[in-house]
Amino acid sequence: MLFKESIISALSSIRSNIVRSFLTTLAIIIGTAAVIAVIGLGSSANKALDEQIDDFGPRTLVVSPGQNRRGAVTKGFIPLDIKDAYALEKNEEHNWMISPYISRNRQVKFNNANINQRIRGNLPIHFKVRGYDVEYGRIFNDDENFGRKRVVVLGAAVPKELKTSPQNILDKEVLIAGTGYKVIGILEEEGNTGWQSPDEELYVPLLTGAQRLFGTKNVDSINIGVEKDANVDEIMMSIERILRAQHDIGPGADNDFNINDYSQFSDLRRQATGIFTALIAGIAGISLVVGGIGVMNIMLVSVTERTREIGLRKALGATHKAIMSQFIVEAILLCVIGGCIGVFLGTSVLYLLASFQDWPFAMPFSAIVGSITFSAMVGLFFGIWPARKAAKLDPAISLRYE
Amino acid sequence: MIISTQNLKRSFQVGSEKVEALKGINLSVEKSEFLSIMGPSGSGKTTLMNIIGCLDTPTEGTYHLNNNLVNDLSDDELARIRNKEIGFVFQSFHLLAKNSALNNVMLPLKYAGVREDNAITMAKNVLDKVGLTNRINHSPSELSGGQQQRVAIARALVNKPSIIFADEPTGNLDSQTGDDVMNLFKELNEQGQTIILITHEEDIARQSKRIINIKDGLIESDYKI
Repeated sequence: MLFKESIISALSSIRSNIVRSFLTTLAIIIGTAAVIAVIGLGSSANKALDEQIDDFGPRTLVVSPGQNRRGAVTKGFIPLDIKDAYALEKNEEHNWMISPYISRNRQVKFNNANINQRIRGNLPIHFKVRGYDVEYGRIFNDDENFGRKRVVVLGAAVPKELKTSPQNILDKEVLIAGTGYKVIGILEEEGNTGWQSPDEELYVPLLTGAQRLFGTKNVDSINIGVEKDANVDEIMMSIERILRAQHDIGPGADNDFNINDYSQFSDLRRQATGIFTALIAGIAGISLVVGGIGVMNIMLVSVTERTREIGLRKALGATHKAIMSQFIVEAILLCVIGGCIGVFLGTSVLYLLASFQDWPFAMPFSAIVGSITFSAMVGLFFGIWPARKAAKLDPAISLRYE
Repeated sequence: MIISTQNLKRSFQVGSEKVEALKGINLSVEKSEFLSIMGPSGSGKTTLMNIIGCLDTPTEGTYHLNNNLVNDLSDDELARIRNKEIGFVFQSFHLLAKNSALNNVMLPLKYAGVREDNAITMAKNVLDKVGLTNRINHSPSELSGGQQQRVAIARALVNKPSIIFADEPTGNLDSQTGDDVMNLFKELNEQGQTIILITHEEDIARQSKRIINIKDGLIESDYKI
């Protein structure tokens, strides 16, 4: 009942000085709002990253050319050959998709439009590894690859760049580096991710590209699509074994190629986001502490103002503890109310920001509970001194305080 | 014997000077007495009330309340005695402005740890006794001065204290309502309530049964009416 009395008395005191209470908690409100918004921003960024990775389809490992080293001596750049890709494909230990590619920029012409665009020579399986689907027509097949046929699949943005529409360019010929290629398909819009712009590219069969367009048998890199739950370490070891045999690398010698697991990068990015979030949230948290000092200040004023009330309560039998709890509860309540308003404000700001920027909205429940708890702790910490001051007042003197 | 003091002294340090407010008070009060403590301001009557009201402790001498020595009790033990044994009525009523009459009367019960439903019943009973049955949900600003003082008296009575201290209880009231309040005190005294009135008004003091005059920290006279 005493605790209830403390709450009622605190609420009535806050209500009777509503403007002062609001101004006092303003720093707490802003602090909590900032903390909440920053933490929410961090987790929204991570959620966006997750969605991007999901878009990526199955997990992809990338084998790229490296350097041949013997000890400290670098012997030059060793390319990856199309044959390396076929050697990997012949292996049947793993359920993987081997997708080598070569890409270069070439002039592309259609009617009067003339653009310089990225041309990518790849196997039909590339579209599956990347999870790209056609919107018009079809993708090329293995026969067209082995036959070095002059066919091309366009990224979604290419028709527009050639000043035409998908319907008008499908089944027509475009000139790539002066030679005619038949447009057999146009991809759906995929959206551009950090290091790729699939909508901007033109896709030709790998062997067509190698022989007719680029004049090389060396591939830029080999993408290897593996299943999400695949044992990546084991797969990397298989790749290494096959390519070492292929490149005739003796025992003890270094690899002349690199294998990267790009999902590692997203882990790194996630970590960086986490550190950054913690840092800014920490800085914002300082304003909560500053707000606590404001609360302490106002509580001291309140104790002085209510000296007679404290004297009366003591005369009626309030113990040291009862007076302490009354004022501490008031300080905590001030901070918690401020914290709740701040959470609401921070969440709203994040929600608005997320909807304007088209980000996913994520607000961890733990952040909400955490910041309100922290506000309560601030109230407790900065409420103790004023409350002690109140509890120590001499009842005989404070009853007659003017 | 409810109150018994021997050679009660209280001094205050004012700057570098030591001021003796009480210079040796010997006072005994029996149960069901109705007495007035009179004296001009500065005579020490407020200091005496603070000490026998357990709001303050003496620097010398002994004070027994209900045959218990209260000199050396801790602040919290004194708070408990004030809560259980003493009811205060003040000149300026000292009600909590934002609280209803009922809540004001319940306050001592809250500090006594009485359960809320019991406290409500007890508070309603005493408000009944002082004639405010229909005013229990009014806040002090909605009550007249006389009604406010009745709420304060109800609050003083609610824990069934051994003594009621009334410090100039009619000082802020017109003579008519002042008389009403005095009649209420007389009525309570007839029911056996011990009441100590602190006043500087002769005609108020005359309505009690015993008058003690304090002057310069000593009892000057002590007589029954």
